[in-house]
Amino acid sequence: MDAAPEITAAFKILFVGDSNVGKSSILLRFTDDVFLPADETCATIGVDFKAHMYDADGERYKLLLWDTAGQERFRTLTSSYYRAVHGVILVYDVSNRESFAHLDSWVEEVNTYCLEGDVVKMVVGNKIDKEAERQVSRQEGAEYARRLQALFLECSAKTKTGVRQAIEELVSKIIDTPGLWRRQLASNGTVLVDESVTSGFGSGCAC
Amino acid sequence: MSDGYLPYAADAEQSLTGEELLVLQRQYEREMPQARVQTKFNYAWGLIKSTSKREQRSGVKLMHEIYDEHNERRRECMYYLAIGYYKMGEYSNARVFVEQLLALEPGNAQARSLHGLIDDKVARDGLIGLAVSGGVLALAGVAIAALFKKRST
Repeated sequence: MDAAPEITAAFKILFVGDSNVGKSSILLRFTDDVFLPADETCATIGVDFKAHMYDADGERYKLLLWDTAGQERFRTLTSSYYRAVHGVILVYDVSNRESFAHLDSWVEEVNTYCLEGDVVKMVVGNKIDKEAERQVSRQEGAEYARRLQALFLECSAKTKTGVRQAIEELVSKIIDTPGLWRRQLASNGTVLVDESVTSGFGSGCAC
Repeated sequence: MSDGYLPYAADAEQSLTGEELLVLQRQYEREMPQARVQTKFNYAWGLIKSTSKREQRSGVKLMHEIYDEHNERRRECMYYLAIGYYKMGEYSNARVFVEQLLALEPGNAQARSLHGLIDDKVARDGLIGLAVSGGVLALAGVAIAALFKKRST
């Protein structure tokens, strides 16, 4: 057996968004390539966690994926998990207009707990397999993400479409913004404002 | 390959900072004696996450009260009671609550993971117990052997 390669860095990534938009399902599809039917899933209690090794350009990274509960009753609990995050994935359900409208309050929360430019944001519209029930167009989602200077992707945890790409895009953005994590490695989480970090998010909405 | 299969309960690992816990405590005390269930739940959760046994115990006590009084919050109470007892080293109580949750939601991955964590801990402590009693037996053997040696001389 090969010796385990050294880990270049560990990235903390947080999933937020309304209850039942599919945060846990996206995560489960990504880490285990599994999708559970609705009657076999249950609402996340507080927060759940998965670690995942991720290789890119000959380097190995450890992804610390934090899946937060969407239910209002866990809002105070989940807010404590924003500490030292590198990436936030804001999830909505394309067949549920309300979950899209609520992104504003999730963004507000992200901005409350994370310094602007200290975190890579990504907006993800899930459940595109329910095309007939779609209530939010792809263009609306992309436009919203552009205003936030966030990355954007649509996906379906059920059919697998877009799930891997979403995480890959987010992680490569984090890797490409070393100011975001090298600083944390050096200072062990102490917040130091670094202007170079705030630049370069504009071109994010690739898809 | 994901290493997320390892039993894990995020809320059993991390504690709040003293300042964060104080925010939850102050809000709870401000609302007393008629604290809202949400406030009480937040505070109970913060206490259970603490590294101090005394705070964990107070958290478990509050969580029990919510469990008894608010049916609609039972599933999360079961989960956090199991975590609280697990952290306090009361594994049989921890099992009772995580198994209650699993009876309600057999597919609950968080509950399954926590159950695995409790089992691992019990198994490990059992091994340590065996090692200790094994060590005692070995020592006794040496003592008895020494005794026989003495007698034979």
